[in-house]
Amino acid sequence: MSTHCEIPKSAYMAADDALLIVSDTTMGDDAELFIAIGKDGRVTAFNGHVDLGTGIRTSLAQIVAEELSVPFEHVDMVLGATSATPNQGATIASETIQIAAVPLRLAAATALHHLLMKASARTGVALNRLLVGNGVVRASTGENWSLTFADLVSGEHMRLSIDTDAPLKPASAYTLVGTSRPRVDIPAKATGRWTYVHDVRVPGMLHGRVVRPPYAGFDHGEHVGKSLISIDESSIAGIDGLIGVVAIGDFIGVVATREEIAIEAAKSLKVVWRDSPERPDLNAPEAALRANPATARKLADRGNVDLALAGSAVSMDRTYVWPYQMHGSIGPSCAVADYRDDGLTVWSGTQNPFPMRRDLALLLDLPEDMILVERLEAAGCYGRNCADDVTADAALLSRAVKAPVRVQLSREQEHAWEPKGAAQVMDVRGGLDLEGGPSAYDFETRYPSNLAPTLPLILTGKVPPVSDVVQMGDRTAIPPYAYSNLRVTVHDMPPIARASWFRGVSAMPNTFAHECYVDELAAAAGVDPIEYRLRYLPDPRAVDLVNALAERAKWVPHKTWGTLGGEGDLLYGRGFAYAVYIHGPFPGKAAAWAAWIADVAVNTKTGEIAVTKVTCAQDSGMMINPDGVRHQIHGNVIQSTSRVLKEKVEFSTTAVTSKEWGGYSLITFPEVPDIDVLMVPRQDEPPLGVGESASVPSASAIANAVYDATGIRFRELPLTPELVLAAMNGDKKEPSPETPAKKRRWWKSGLSAAGAVAAVSGIVTMSSPWRPAIATISRPDTNVYSDATIERGRLVAAAGACNVCHIGPDGTPFAGGRRFDTPFGAVYATNITPDVENGIGAWSYPAFERAMREGVSRDGHHLYPAHPYTSFAGAEDADLQALYAYMMTQAPVAEKPPETALRFPYNIRSMMAGWNTLFLRNEPFRYAKARTAEWNRGAYLVETLGHCSACHTERNTLGAEKGRKAHLSGGFADGWDAPALNTFAKGPVGWTEEAFYDYLRTGHSRDHGSAAGPMAHVVQVMRPLPDKDIRAMATYLASLNDATGPEEAAAQKEAAIIASDAARANAARISPKGERIFNGACATCHQGNTGLSSLALNTNLHANTPDNIFQVILNGVEAPAILAESTRRDAPEVMSMPAFRETLNEMQIKDLAAYLRARFAPDKAAWSDTESAMQRVISSTH
Amino acid sequence: MTPPVSVSLIVNDAIRRVEAKPETPLLYILRNDLSLNGPKYGCGLGECGACAVLVDGRAVRSCTVPLGAVGTRQVTTLEGLSAERSLHPVQRAFIEEAAAQCGYCLNGMIIAIVGLLHRNSDPDESDIREALRHHLCRCGTHMEILAAARRAAVYAKAERASSSASADTTEVSS
Repeated sequence: MSTHCEIPKSAYMAADDALLIVSDTTMGDDAELFIAIGKDGRVTAFNGHVDLGTGIRTSLAQIVAEELSVPFEHVDMVLGATSATPNQGATIASETIQIAAVPLRLAAATALHHLLMKASARTGVALNRLLVGNGVVRASTGENWSLTFADLVSGEHMRLSIDTDAPLKPASAYTLVGTSRPRVDIPAKATGRWTYVHDVRVPGMLHGRVVRPPYAGFDHGEHVGKSLISIDESSIAGIDGLIGVVAIGDFIGVVATREEIAIEAAKSLKVVWRDSPERPDLNAPEAALRANPATARKLADRGNVDLALAGSAVSMDRTYVWPYQMHGSIGPSCAVADYRDDGLTVWSGTQNPFPMRRDLALLLDLPEDMILVERLEAAGCYGRNCADDVTADAALLSRAVKAPVRVQLSREQEHAWEPKGAAQVMDVRGGLDLEGGPSAYDFETRYPSNLAPTLPLILTGKVPPVSDVVQMGDRTAIPPYAYSNLRVTVHDMPPIARASWFRGVSAMPNTFAHECYVDELAAAAGVDPIEYRLRYLPDPRAVDLVNALAERAKWVPHKTWGTLGGEGDLLYGRGFAYAVYIHGPFPGKAAAWAAWIADVAVNTKTGEIAVTKVTCAQDSGMMINPDGVRHQIHGNVIQSTSRVLKEKVEFSTTAVTSKEWGGYSLITFPEVPDIDVLMVPRQDEPPLGVGESASVPSASAIANAVYDATGIRFRELPLTPELVLAAMNGDKKEPSPETPAKKRRWWKSGLSAAGAVAAVSGIVTMSSPWRPAIATISRPDTNVYSDATIERGRLVAAAGACNVCHIGPDGTPFAGGRRFDTPFGAVYATNITPDVENGIGAWSYPAFERAMREGVSRDGHHLYPAHPYTSFAGAEDADLQALYAYMMTQAPVAEKPPETALRFPYNIRSMMAGWNTLFLRNEPFRYAKARTAEWNRGAYLVETLGHCSACHTERNTLGAEKGRKAHLSGGFADGWDAPALNTFAKGPVGWTEEAFYDYLRTGHSRDHGSAAGPMAHVVQVMRPLPDKDIRAMATYLASLNDATGPEEAAAQKEAAIIASDAARANAARISPKGERIFNGACATCHQGNTGLSSLALNTNLHANTPDNIFQVILNGVEAPAILAESTRRDAPEVMSMPAFRETLNEMQIKDLAAYLRARFAPDKAAWSDTESAMQRVISSTH
Repeated sequence: MTPPVSVSLIVNDAIRRVEAKPETPLLYILRNDLSLNGPKYGCGLGECGACAVLVDGRAVRSCTVPLGAVGTRQVTTLEGLSAERSLHPVQRAFIEEAAAQCGYCLNGMIIAIVGLLHRNSDPDESDIREALRHHLCRCGTHMEILAAARRAAVYAKAERASSSASADTTEVSS
């Protein structure tokens, strides 16, 4: 058990020997505790902020150790535990070092002063003659004594209030602050010993999952909290290990004994919701933001803007648009809650332990002091993610089941519901005066966001679903330049999608506008962009920073774009931007100053932008831990480059649709630019927040660089290839290739029900429809069968794959009940176990044989040809007899599967008599004398027992297999396209005997891919067949194909892979979203994976319709290693392909399929009518 | 879902017996049944790499490996890389380069580089970046992770040199 509980403040308050520095001693034990020094001399320091992955645990310890003059290793930090630390609000706005560390430093100074006074009193040495270092006090005069902090603390409990006048160590005397101490947490994290909130396990803990409403990512509106119509708890009643279902308003959760059971229950729970109302289009957010109700707040108004605008020599009105973006914590939020009569304990990754405690109190009607928040590190967050939501989820579930519950949000839930970084629209009206200077700067910004109330408060109805407005759109809204006519207005507005603060809160978009606009002014004025800025930059520290950066990056002044030229398809460019991040309520405080020079290469053919290098200069004031600062700069540069080039949340009309890393892609290692960091030394200045500053200039620096390369201004993000291509080439579309005639579905031939009646009833007259019943027998005594016969029967059952169709719903062999959707209605497989009542236990062999060969049941009724008796008709007597014997030895199952009940007229089974006259050739299989025994054996297996044609042959309007050329030329079965097994096969590589053998034996052929869907079951049930039978089938099937030798196959394979590589750029152009989904969701396994075949070889991508592709994307594919179990050839893949049914929507899957087709089957036409295919596939999966 | 079965696994060189449904992702078995917290849940879709483990020395995503597919293959987690008191050279390289911010993705990064060095003992920059292509880091620790990977490659080379030197010695002496 890795339970993690901080020692509570009360324990320190009760310690006999301790020196405590508190907020105010007159408050007694209620005072807030900042520093505790124990009798062993160890220092524990308390801070209400938390470490979000930035390393403040280390930096704060450095500050404390420095001020106290103790070794760094003697300091332990306690962060953000409500039981112990002071309430310092939320960890936001880069404030920890700049603001929250101030009282800590004073507390340390207070403690040191006290200890020195005590040493002076004890030794009689004057204060000014004492030296302290490494936690030891000595006299400067060299007397032979020393006192450790342990010596000084022992023997009394002393409490002091923080002395704001305590003497602080001068920066010049620092030995620890300003050095790069290694992070204290990394060794444990690198070896799996660190306890994240995800790793907390408490005794008796259960696992919970939540089911969120369909309006994903929206937290206000009348329907919110009121959309649940019903929950069908019986839908999961059969799940072993389920503990309970909890529903309050629109909050739903399930609790189970094990995590995977909770996942299964959450997925299987049938819930009916009201339709969600439509929202404005947030994919192109400008219109929605302009229409959102707002209150204008003027932040600055100097000079005479209107007059200056009217008098501009060149007018330049510009609009900049920022998309919705997400934090994208790599670990979805997780929490554990333990609700008991005496109070609630939560283990949480919250950014805001104290504000969250208030929310939990409200949600659960508990006083705050009955709630303990243990704060543990979580995956990095860069603003408000779902950490508080999931803590409240866990609390609700724990209260309901009276046990500790761990709730882990899914990736989809975190993506959909995390409060987003809001879209933003910035308008600038301005221009140039006659001298080329800025005439005026009239700036307006719209930022639809608030603090995002904790979700369960809204879902349960505790808090009304009404959005409040917070004033956070004003960060860095004032431009840094001395525009003499300046007006700045922020339109405060409520959120549209659920939104809250995200790194560089509103300042990053505002700076995108400021710094692109000034670049446009410089270009219009024909002045170098840096020189132009410096003319109007009043802040001397900023000027120093800009000059230092220009020198470091060897900036070459230039007055026009295009000076860096290009090569091949590439154009090179360089862009500059500068910003100081202002945080906190307006007018706010400045964090670190930052400036960027970005180098880009723009590919004119693909539209891809590579940021090749970023030179970033930052003035952070005093740096506590310079390596820590450098890492923050690196992190900001990389994350913000990702945001600028790639990131945008997508929405349907009702919900967020970007629910995994393909639909919301992040920068990858190969795309990461080189980074050169210049940290301006300012150790004599106060420390400034460094958590966000280096992100702020990113978008404008990159957009300015792209302008420098191409001469095109991009004023909306992200800078995707399609955006760049559209701007460079207009909207030229590739001519779409001709679509060839498609294979028609056999039931799509326009046969009406009436026509079928007419056709079939005409036939009925030709043969007697009535067949006699064959008398029942008592169940045969299986002792009469020899072991050899039963074994032969077992192999016949394997070759016939009987258990693929007749398997029971719970996996019981031969129990029946599987449903098959045919054009005539649903057909259910029957129970073929030897149960007398429900199975075939009362069937004599003649009855069995008649059913197998003629499709007539024992009682005389006709079977539908879903039972492939037309194939079995040719089986050898001995095989059918052995099969009968084998079936009779099976365990009887006393379950009756659903009856097949087709609609009229297909429910008239006697019509099948006519059908049989037409399509049933009841004659023994004819062996070909000219062929080898192996070939004949294979042919027999394929054509009779194996009944391959039942799926792999197209059927006519009456549902019968077509003859001649259609035989084994591909068909359709159970929602899947069954590809051609002969020369009509569509894949790029011909099928060799070896390939057939591998595929049938292991479910995988290197040149063709893996078996999935029904075929995977077939491979599975054929396992008992000896290799020689599989080999025989392969021999026969290979003979149906144009002879492909191994060398030819190798050449075809190489050609297909080369063609798919060459098609990469074109495929990306055809379906840019599909490409991103492929790269984010698929390529990890389907690119450069030696365990899987290239998709270029996959038959399904070369098929006439995308049905199979949709099948595998929606439903996943089981790990090839499971199928290949018996042989373990070629180290088969152990990973399964996940089902993306809950993750990607139909549009995304179609985009992906379009990309896959264009990339991996580039010689084939794009699939048309993908909508019908999608509907077929969705309806085929029950 | 099928009923639970009793399955033996080889994890970090020890045989471990667990009871679960065969389709249960290996990740949950490692974390919840075996208390191995190195592998992390990130997406459940095989996209991000936070849950990576080695299976027969190859880095795979344990969130997509069904328990039933593991068989007798050797599973190694972050915890299993290093013996009691020593660090695996790749872990050492990551610690020395401070290659973590929040550290949630760190497991996958380390496992990926161990996997890379198994199949390519002398990777260049592009091999390293390709091996990490489908490992996501949101904090932007890429520079430090790349530096750690380069350092790990150097350690691996040094180790090979010293082991081949000692092998040479053995040869000479025999």
